[in-house]
Amino acid sequence: MAKILIPTPLRQYAEKQNSVEIPGATVGEVLERLAAQYHDLRRHLYSDEGKLRSFVNVYLNDEDIRYMSRESTPVKDDDTISIVPSIAGGAVVAPPEPATLSKEEILRYSRHLIMPEVGMEGQLKLKQARVLLVGTGGLGAPLGLYLAAAGVGRIGLVDFDVVDHSNLQRQVIHGTRDVGRKKLDSASDRMADINPHIAIDRHEVALSSENALDILRDYDLVVDGTDNFPTRYLVNDACVLLGKPNVYGSIFRFEGQATVFAYPGGPCYRCLYPEPPPPGLVPSCAEGGVLGILPGLIGVVQATETVKLILGAGELMVGRLLLYDALAMRFRELKLRRNPDCPACGDRPTITRLIDYHQFCGVPRQESAPPSGTTMDEITPAEVKARIDRRDPFVLIDVREPHEYQIARIPHARLIPLGELPKRVHELDSAGEIVAHCKSGMRSAKAVDFLKQAGFRKVKNMKGGILAWSDQVDPSVPKY
Amino acid sequence: MIEIEREPWEKMVAHARATYPNECVGAMLGVVDGGRKVVREAMPLENSFAGEQSARYELRPEDLLSADREARRRSLDLVGIYHSHPDCGAYFSDTDLKNSCPWYSFVVLSIRKGDFDHANSWLPNAEQTAAEKEELIWPKS
Repeated sequence: MAKILIPTPLRQYAEKQNSVEIPGATVGEVLERLAAQYHDLRRHLYSDEGKLRSFVNVYLNDEDIRYMSRESTPVKDDDTISIVPSIAGGAVVAPPEPATLSKEEILRYSRHLIMPEVGMEGQLKLKQARVLLVGTGGLGAPLGLYLAAAGVGRIGLVDFDVVDHSNLQRQVIHGTRDVGRKKLDSASDRMADINPHIAIDRHEVALSSENALDILRDYDLVVDGTDNFPTRYLVNDACVLLGKPNVYGSIFRFEGQATVFAYPGGPCYRCLYPEPPPPGLVPSCAEGGVLGILPGLIGVVQATETVKLILGAGELMVGRLLLYDALAMRFRELKLRRNPDCPACGDRPTITRLIDYHQFCGVPRQESAPPSGTTMDEITPAEVKARIDRRDPFVLIDVREPHEYQIARIPHARLIPLGELPKRVHELDSAGEIVAHCKSGMRSAKAVDFLKQAGFRKVKNMKGGILAWSDQVDPSVPKY
Repeated sequence: MIEIEREPWEKMVAHARATYPNECVGAMLGVVDGGRKVVREAMPLENSFAGEQSARYELRPEDLLSADREARRRSLDLVGIYHSHPDCGAYFSDTDLKNSCPWYSFVVLSIRKGDFDHANSWLPNAEQTAAEKEELIWPKS
C-alpha cells in the first residue's frame, strides 16, 4: 500500500487525515482509488473532463512523475505519493486603466472603427499599446509617421543623431528646416503634429548592452530600424531575453528584407544569422547607397506587422522572411524556422545576458573618434594641396568608382577604381611617389596596402578622403 | 480570515525588502481553525523564474514539497504562499491567477521604493478565473 500525503486544505475532504494508504499498481490507479474513496476530493484534483487539474503536480517520493512514466509510473508498497500544486505569478503589468476614445478620437479613427477587424476594441488596443522604435532614420521615418497616425498610444524613439542634408532623400519625417536639429526633436514634433492624442517617449542615447533592457522593458514590442550589425544583434538578444517581439527590417541599395523575430515559437535574428559578416564585407547604406523610396516600403511593411501584432489580426510574418527587389519589382518569401541550437532562443541558450556587441561584430564603437594625427603611410589633404601647388613630382590616384568621380573630383587626380588596380598597376611607376584617395580613406588604405605588397615604396593614403578635402582645402567640392 | 503573527510577518517584510526590486516568494506555515488561519512561521523560498524577476516569480514544486514536509515535521500546516509586487499594488494579477491553486491563501505584499506599503490576501478559484479577497490581519507598527 502506498502512502498519499494530503495537502492541508484538502484534509477536510479526506476525513481530516493528513495521509491515507491506498493500494494500487500505478500512480494513476492509486489516485483514482483515492478520488473514488473520498468523493469530495475528486473535484479538487480532477477537472470536469476527468483530467488532473493543470496546477496539480504529483511526486512519487522525491521525483515528479512527469519525468518518470506519468500516471502509469509503477508504485511499490513503501512509496510515498505527494500532491504539490505548481505556483507562479507576478505583477507583470499594473491593470491598465480602462481606456476610452474621446469624440475627437472617434472622428479621427473612424475609417478604422467601421472595419470589424479593428473596430472600437482594436482601436483601444492600439491606444493602450507601447511600441519602441529603435532609430528615426530611413525605416524609422515611415514607422513613426504611420504608427502615430494609426493611434499607437505610446511610442518610444531611440536616436542620438542630428538631421543632415544627406538624410533628406529618404528620412521623410525630417524636413530641410530640421537640418542641424536633433532627430528626436524633429521626429517627435512631426508625430505630435500628425496625432496629438499619443504620447512620445524620447530616449536620446545610443542603445547599448548597459541600457537596452531598461529601455525595452517598458514596451510591448520593439521595431528595429537600425543600420548596423552590433545594434541589430543587441536588439535581437534583448528582445529574446525579455520575451518581446522584434519587428525587423533592413535595406541596402535596391533590396530590402522584413520579418517578425522573437515571437513565441518563432525564430530570432540569430537563427537566421548566427554570426555577423566579417567587418567591412557588407557595406552600410552610407557606403553602398540606398534608393530613397526603399525604406518607405520596408518601413511600412514593419508598421503593418506592428499594427497586426497589436490587434492580434491576420497572419503574422513569423517564420517568413520577405525579400523585396525594387529594380525587378519582385517580392519573394523564405521560410525561417527556430533553430533548437540557437545560442539566444534555442532549447539550451548560452546567451543569458547581453554581451559586448561591438566586439562580437568586430567593429569599433561609433562614438570613438578616429585616431588624430597621421601615421607614416598617411598624408593630410592640406599637405597634398601644398605639394600640388609646389608642383612636386607625384601622382594622385583616385580609387573610387566612375559614378563617384562624376559627383566630385580633385583636379589632377587620376581615376583608377580599386577593383581595377591589380590589372592597371603597370600604369604606375613603382619608384615614383604616389598618393591615393577615395571618399573617406577606407578604400585608399586598401590600395596603399596592395601597392606596397606589389613593391611600391613611396605610397601614402590621403587621410579622410575627398570629404576631408572638401572640409579642409576646397569647400566648393561637393560632399556626398 | 488569515492572521499573521509578528515574527513571521517581520520575516516576510524583511524578505520582500531584501529582494526588491525583484519579487520574492515564500511559504506560510501555521494552524487552521475552521475558517480562521493563523500563520506562525514564514519560510522564504527561492524565486526560480529564469528571466527578469522584477515582475515575475516561480516556485519550484520541490521547494513547496519540502515546505510542506517541514510543516508536517513541526506539526504545522502549509496554509499559504506569499510574494511581493515591487512598485505596484497588492492586487492579484492575471499572471498570479493563471498560475495559482485554490488550496492556499495568497498574500501579496506591495513594496514601494524598497519599503513595505500594503498587503492583501487572495483566494483563487479552481478554474483560475477569479480570486476573492480574504480578510488579512497583520501586526500594525
